[in-house]
Amino acid sequence: MKQKQDRRTFLKGALTCAAASSTLIAAGCNNRKLEGGGEEMSARWNEYFKKNYRLMTPEEKEETVRRLEQLAKLDYDVDVNVETTPPKKNVLYGYAFNISRCEGYMDCVEACVKENNLDRKSKTQYVRIFEMENGQMDITTGNGKYFHEVPKEDHFYMGIQCFHCEQAPCVKACPTKATWKEPDGIVVVDYDWCIGCRYCMAACPYFGRRFNWHDPEVPKEEINENQHYLGNRMRKKGQMEKCTFCIQRTRNGKLPACADACPTGSRVFGNLLDPNSEIRFVLKNKKVFRMKEELGTDPKFWYFID
Amino acid sequence: MKYFKTGIPILLVLTGTMIVLSGCDGASGHQGVMETIKAANAPVEMIKATHEIPPEPLVRVSEEYQGGIFYTQARKDKMERFECSSCHTDDGATINDTREAVHGNIKLNHGAVTNPDACDTCHNMSDRNYLATEAVAKIDFDHSYQLCGTCHFRQKKDWVGGAHGKRIQNWAGKRAVLNCASCHSPHSPRFAKRWPATFSPPDDVLADKVEE
Repeated sequence: MKQKQDRRTFLKGALTCAAASSTLIAAGCNNRKLEGGGEEMSARWNEYFKKNYRLMTPEEKEETVRRLEQLAKLDYDVDVNVETTPPKKNVLYGYAFNISRCEGYMDCVEACVKENNLDRKSKTQYVRIFEMENGQMDITTGNGKYFHEVPKEDHFYMGIQCFHCEQAPCVKACPTKATWKEPDGIVVVDYDWCIGCRYCMAACPYFGRRFNWHDPEVPKEEINENQHYLGNRMRKKGQMEKCTFCIQRTRNGKLPACADACPTGSRVFGNLLDPNSEIRFVLKNKKVFRMKEELGTDPKFWYFID
Repeated sequence: MKYFKTGIPILLVLTGTMIVLSGCDGASGHQGVMETIKAANAPVEMIKATHEIPPEPLVRVSEEYQGGIFYTQARKDKMERFECSSCHTDDGATINDTREAVHGNIKLNHGAVTNPDACDTCHNMSDRNYLATEAVAKIDFDHSYQLCGTCHFRQKKDWVGGAHGKRIQNWAGKRAVLNCASCHSPHSPRFAKRWPATFSPPDDVLADKVEE
């Protein structure tokens, strides 16, 4: 039987659905227990209803990170230091990868996992190294799962990670504005505003994003306590994460963990706006290319050969 | 009616947030990164690093890079038996096979197969505390890049500029880089074949692990 709906009933129904589903999303994405004393309860409550990072005042940021530190103590029993270090003026980060030097040792991958508190259970890795046959340029022909002594004869190695595109497709795809490009060029995620739809993952032509299918597991003694709100703080189930050029390191002037760990010096990192920087020397003096440049994503990650 | 009243503010807040955040994106503009780089030609003031590089002996490199003076890791403090002159005196060795006993671990694998390097290709034979080339009689061990650069001039040019080698810890602040011998053993400079530090597990292995 067909029932005629008037405009008011329809709107009422639609709004009820919207309200109910947003509550469900809030509850479903964070399956952590809502128990404990009044202070803990209040901290968790405020965590649910905090603003997007970009809308927070400095005081609110300070309040949020203190709360996160408090919760990290409760949840993981570690004393972390969560920073909100802002971007440096006159800095645009760029990265160059020397494909004639990389030998596939994967020290970068190991350092990245430790630095960024990546999930050990699912073996999440931001950096991938592909073993490619000499002469090949197409990364899809590479072997990303090699497990033998390296370097292999007649092969070269090509690393990929988030390329921090100037015209980032992931940023455009995000329906909740949970990911954006910072003024220093780093594409970041506000984990708590991510609804886990994975549109960004689908939009990224470089396989640069990782999804948490469950709460990440990191042994307590291996948790890196130097954290950044937009960087390596502990993620939760249902949140997207990605390489942030080690924002907690680079904004303090350090090299990203991968570049610092590389035993072959294949990784060059620096300030694109400084004409005297190493990265600018590479761009000026070496044969460089970017991956899938024709897509117009304008990545800030170059490959070069000696 | 109750849901109606709660629903409206929630929707308004969500829409409001979206509108405000959309405004944030507009600021970046549509200039490509290559144009941005080409436009950035003025030298920028040196950006300071929050963390100093770990204290260790550095020496000022005898030449300058495009950004001025820079430093490299010292070498002599890491050499087990420096100073060489403490053994290499004018007196003869007192035990047999001294060379094998002291320097037997050195496997020289440097230079062309047909014309391999010998000790005196790099070492100063009259003053063992120094290195030497045909052109320069004495090269300090801390400045061994001067020696390496006589043959590997292309690598040295890249090292000075920043395309070869790596900086110590920081991208910002005072430029301090590793020296040649920090990574390459001078006697056998090619990197050895070895197992990777970690691996990326195949998808099927991963799937099993996650399901556990």
